[in-house]
Amino acid sequence: MRRRTFLKQAGLAAAGAFVAPYILPSGRLFAATGARKANHVVFCMFAGGVRNIDSVQHHDGNLLTNILNNNTAISPDIAPAMTVLPSNPLGYTLDSRGSLFKEFKYQKGPTGHFNGHTVALTGQYSNTDLVIKENPKVPTIFEYYRKHNSPQNAATNCWWVANTLGPFPALNYSSAAGYGAAYGANFIAPTSLFSSAGQQTIQNVYNFSNNDQQAINKLKGFTNQVFNHPYINGEAGIGNTESDKAKLDQFINNMFANTVPNSWGINGGMNNDMLNISFAEEILKEFKPELLVVNMQDVDVAHFNFTNYANNLRKADYAVAHLWNTIQSIPGMANDTILIIAPEHGRNLNGNNSIDAYGRAALDHTANVDLTQGDQTARDIFCLIVGPPGVVKQGFNFGAIGSPVGESIEIVPAIANILGFDNNIPGSILTPAINNQLLLNAFY
Amino acid sequence: MNCIKNILILLIFSPLFSCQKEKTFLYEVDPVNVNSNGGIKNNVKSTTEFISIAYADLKGSNISSSELQNLSTVYTAFGDKKLIEDRIIRKFLTDPNTLLPATISVNGDTILFLVNTYKKFFNREPNEFERYYLKELIKTNTGIDSRIIYYSMMTSDEYRYY
Repeated sequence: MRRRTFLKQAGLAAAGAFVAPYILPSGRLFAATGARKANHVVFCMFAGGVRNIDSVQHHDGNLLTNILNNNTAISPDIAPAMTVLPSNPLGYTLDSRGSLFKEFKYQKGPTGHFNGHTVALTGQYSNTDLVIKENPKVPTIFEYYRKHNSPQNAATNCWWVANTLGPFPALNYSSAAGYGAAYGANFIAPTSLFSSAGQQTIQNVYNFSNNDQQAINKLKGFTNQVFNHPYINGEAGIGNTESDKAKLDQFINNMFANTVPNSWGINGGMNNDMLNISFAEEILKEFKPELLVVNMQDVDVAHFNFTNYANNLRKADYAVAHLWNTIQSIPGMANDTILIIAPEHGRNLNGNNSIDAYGRAALDHTANVDLTQGDQTARDIFCLIVGPPGVVKQGFNFGAIGSPVGESIEIVPAIANILGFDNNIPGSILTPAINNQLLLNAFY
Repeated sequence: MNCIKNILILLIFSPLFSCQKEKTFLYEVDPVNVNSNGGIKNNVKSTTEFISIAYADLKGSNISSSELQNLSTVYTAFGDKKLIEDRIIRKFLTDPNTLLPATISVNGDTILFLVNTYKKFFNREPNEFERYYLKELIKTNTGIDSRIIYYSMMTSDEYRYY
């Protein structure tokens, strides 16, 4: 062999050996780095369709005094209707601890609540009907996390906490091939579970002794073996391990026993959003999950009453500050959690025909599948990413009115990136979002 | 002459009636799928079916619409259905109106108790193996009562199918 040929072939072989390990059987190009920005992500869908004019643009004053550093007074015509809320539990505004995307876009698809939730949880725009009680057709962030994070974690590490039932229980896993219930999140609608219906039907259940349990295990083991047709994931919802089921069972007992009404001391009582956040806090304290998604939707009263919408925005603002304060008190989650706050969609610029007692017109959200149909203002939202200094850029703003930066479908890949498993997701699934990760500008 | 003719006819046709090789017949059974007694149940009960049937099985009456609504709400509000079903059954078992056979029924004519229990929950009779195994299990575990047996069967896989 000639010296030149030998050197050429040796060089190619060396290059091949260097590159080959990174072309993996799954088809992705690079092995997982596993580098995490934080070990916990809490994503708060805030809070049922919020108009930027009323949130980050302060047209009626700063309704989000816990989130945004702005001293504009609430418009005097609606100010008397605002509930007096406890002072900011943090002593600072959340935007000072994170990066605010002031004009974030819900770019495509109908601005319906279920559709908006689906987009936020799958990272893909959807044109499904506004209300359809079926699992998404593409994987959710929960399934990406449980399938592609290394090591794979149990369902107690992954929660979807919804403030209501309707179609929302369907969002903890998809019907996508290769994903599904086996990788789904624990779903809970606490205000429905820990309700009077729950008290009547699943509180104070019969408790078997350890000896009883041993006999039960034998009996059930035998009948299940004979039947040989397991009732498992999918048909049985999502599955937890037996030891995790025991923890969950005890958690449910504790919640029934220890839940007190109005634990936050809110004038007039906690609304559904506050209750949902307070239950999510209990889940965080008990299970310290790596991924938890919680929503609020009480501002959707805006369809009928603008002033109540404004008031509920303030309550949602207080609730999210309470949530962050709680996270910072949980060993293992404090200083190791990223909080993402974003509405699922916005609201119309122009009001509808429903005028409240303060003379304000109510607001719908009508931007539809066709980008020429409905009020496109309903596509304008914001996104705030809060996290530890050194990880998240503190006090940064991205985008401005008319200059959007980032969009809804980026939240899923951003969560995957924070938890360090984004490179494990086969590229073809999330390509549009992964190619355009402006949200990652929030991180160092 | 006739006699000769008959003999000729006999000679001509005799090979047809001579000894023949005996035919062998093989009798077989068509392929049949053999299932256990509960194996033909492939359909999962719906939420409403599960709740209504469990209620009727334990209380001997139909569930009211308000109770069904409450149970459906709770059932939908948690993702791990087996866990919630487990709690629903355990709640039923605390109700004084729940119809639980006395211990004497379990330990007396155990086979009769098993047959009745299988019919009640699985809509079939236990096979010989099930009768033997469960009778022995009950005999050797004096702590097993009807509540334990009912709970075990109602939270087993077979109860969830029809």
